[in-house]
Amino acid sequence: MAIYSAEHRRLMEMFYPSGHQGYSDVLSSLGEFLENEVLPLSPKLDSGEASIAKPRKALFKQGICQIAFPEEYGGLGLPFSVYSNAVELLGTADASIALSVEIHSAVAEGLHRFGSSDQKREYLPRLLSGESLASFTLTEPASGSDAGTMATTAELKGGEFSINGSKIFITNAGEADLYMVFAKTRKGPSCFLVEASCPGLKFGSDLRKLGMRGSRTSEVIFTDCRVPKENLVGEEGKGADYAKEILHGARIIVAAMNVGIARLAYDKSVAYARQRKAFGKTISEFQLIREKIADMKTDLNAGRLMYFYASKIKELGGDYSSEASQAKVFATEMSVRVCDEAIQIHGGYGYTTDELHRHWRDARLLTIGEGTSEVLRMLIARRELARSQ
Amino acid sequence: MKVAVCVKHAVDEAELKVDSSGSPLFAGAASKMSTFDKNAVEEALRLKAAHSGEVVIVTVGTGDAKKSMKEALAMGADRGVLVNADPLKMDPARTAELLAAALTKAGPFDVILCSEGSSDMYSGLVPPMVGEMLGLPYVGYAKKVEVGGQTAKVERALEDSVEVVEAPVPFVASVVSEINEPRYPTLIQIMQASKKPLEELSPDAFVPVSKAPSSATVAMKAQAMARKKVMFEGPPDETAKKLVDALASEGVLPR
Repeated sequence: MAIYSAEHRRLMEMFYPSGHQGYSDVLSSLGEFLENEVLPLSPKLDSGEASIAKPRKALFKQGICQIAFPEEYGGLGLPFSVYSNAVELLGTADASIALSVEIHSAVAEGLHRFGSSDQKREYLPRLLSGESLASFTLTEPASGSDAGTMATTAELKGGEFSINGSKIFITNAGEADLYMVFAKTRKGPSCFLVEASCPGLKFGSDLRKLGMRGSRTSEVIFTDCRVPKENLVGEEGKGADYAKEILHGARIIVAAMNVGIARLAYDKSVAYARQRKAFGKTISEFQLIREKIADMKTDLNAGRLMYFYASKIKELGGDYSSEASQAKVFATEMSVRVCDEAIQIHGGYGYTTDELHRHWRDARLLTIGEGTSEVLRMLIARRELARSQ
Repeated sequence: MKVAVCVKHAVDEAELKVDSSGSPLFAGAASKMSTFDKNAVEEALRLKAAHSGEVVIVTVGTGDAKKSMKEALAMGADRGVLVNADPLKMDPARTAELLAAALTKAGPFDVILCSEGSSDMYSGLVPPMVGEMLGLPYVGYAKKVEVGGQTAKVERALEDSVEVVEAPVPFVASVVSEINEPRYPTLIQIMQASKKPLEELSPDAFVPVSKAPSSATVAMKAQAMARKKVMFEGPPDETAKKLVDALASEGVLPR
């Protein structure tokens, strides 16, 4: 199996009539690395027999986070679609690492868009090379997409902000070196950078999850956690807007990741259907299985085109908030559907084999994380109704 | 130290299909850098890291072969020389002749590395022929290469023993896969590789065909492997043990 397939290559040719060769070289090299160094490790990350740290570090060293950032910070300066395609490939190789890398990159993206030039010089090169790992801490026990209701506070005390409160369901918590934290000051939700060494920063235990078991998720607790006032990102009181902007971009990446997960479940299903026999013929000869394969492939291609489309609008500088949400809603729900059908095609083996049901377990997170399907449908409708006025 | 590596852009043997008569379908087949050539490139890069100098990739191939050359350049080689000719349409002697001429033009080199055989044809004929044509000593199947001044010490991996030989520099060697673990180029190296110099040479102006091919491939057929269909009969305790032993002797189970 070539992770970077002929289908990907063709899509790159269509989206980038000139320049696609160089992008394809980068992606196929990444694909080869993922195939040999990450994919074989994936079952062990799910079962807890291997740790995510080493393969993630190796992947950072290859340069996955550098793809779409400018060269002045150590990036490759390639189009955003090349990065989203890279994350699709990573989703196929291992969903947990894809999730961890996606969150990390979202912080880098936020810093690049809203950070001061000092902050960018200080942190971006370290984040892009993977020397430091980042975590995005927004969600609270009683506050999700309605970021305005957050209870975590930041109070200015003699040149320092004192942060108090707690965040929940935080990916990379306890492993990261840098935390992008959202907390309310007197002017409203604001965005801060908190280093892992900061006193007053504590972490809960690793949450036991349905899927994405290779990645660490826990509570982050702030008790008079002091950060210098230079660690405020952008303007005080603008944190909710920044979070929203960062999440728009991240949703494209989440969509890509889910296409990657679904692709592996689909490939396994086709291979199984061609060799499993029932009533004297392979099950791929039965119409009901053929219908499943047709629908799975159609779903998969639709999801891929949607994240490419949203990526391209982002690249061209347009308003992509609705298209990013559409891609995320569709691709994540599609991925759950495809992974569910993969279990069905594999029958009893599907239900009893980690290697098959883990795809469904992994995919299942993302109709919830980074904006639930329900919240995103509200957002899409609001945006489209406003556009039609 | 100047090190040259002979790299072949080979048919991807894992993706190769055969027609109903058993003949391989080369037209449109997937291609890649010949597997063990990556070990030769890696070894050259290690020699360069230890002694400083230059690593040059020399290839006989069509335009498509630039993919493999770029990969070798991305791994860290400095420049490439491509002789534009299709190795599938010539005998190994002609390939060696073109390589030797290109090596002379791009050289002189202290060390010339090849792999023990290409992953598609695996004749293993080209490396010793290159040595002979250049009038250099040839050391085959190297699993360790140490160059110190004017002499190199090479460990040769033979079927059931390791032979340690000394060779005067310059020399030609072929390497086996166990010599090292080839590195992956990083994405930034992949991008930078296209900026490295890659010289293209036309074979006819360069080395005229001197003689008729010394050998020609008349036919190439895939071999159909019959299943062994071994049956073990007896009580389960004994047959299970026999099965495990048989699988282990086939090399599919660790002993």
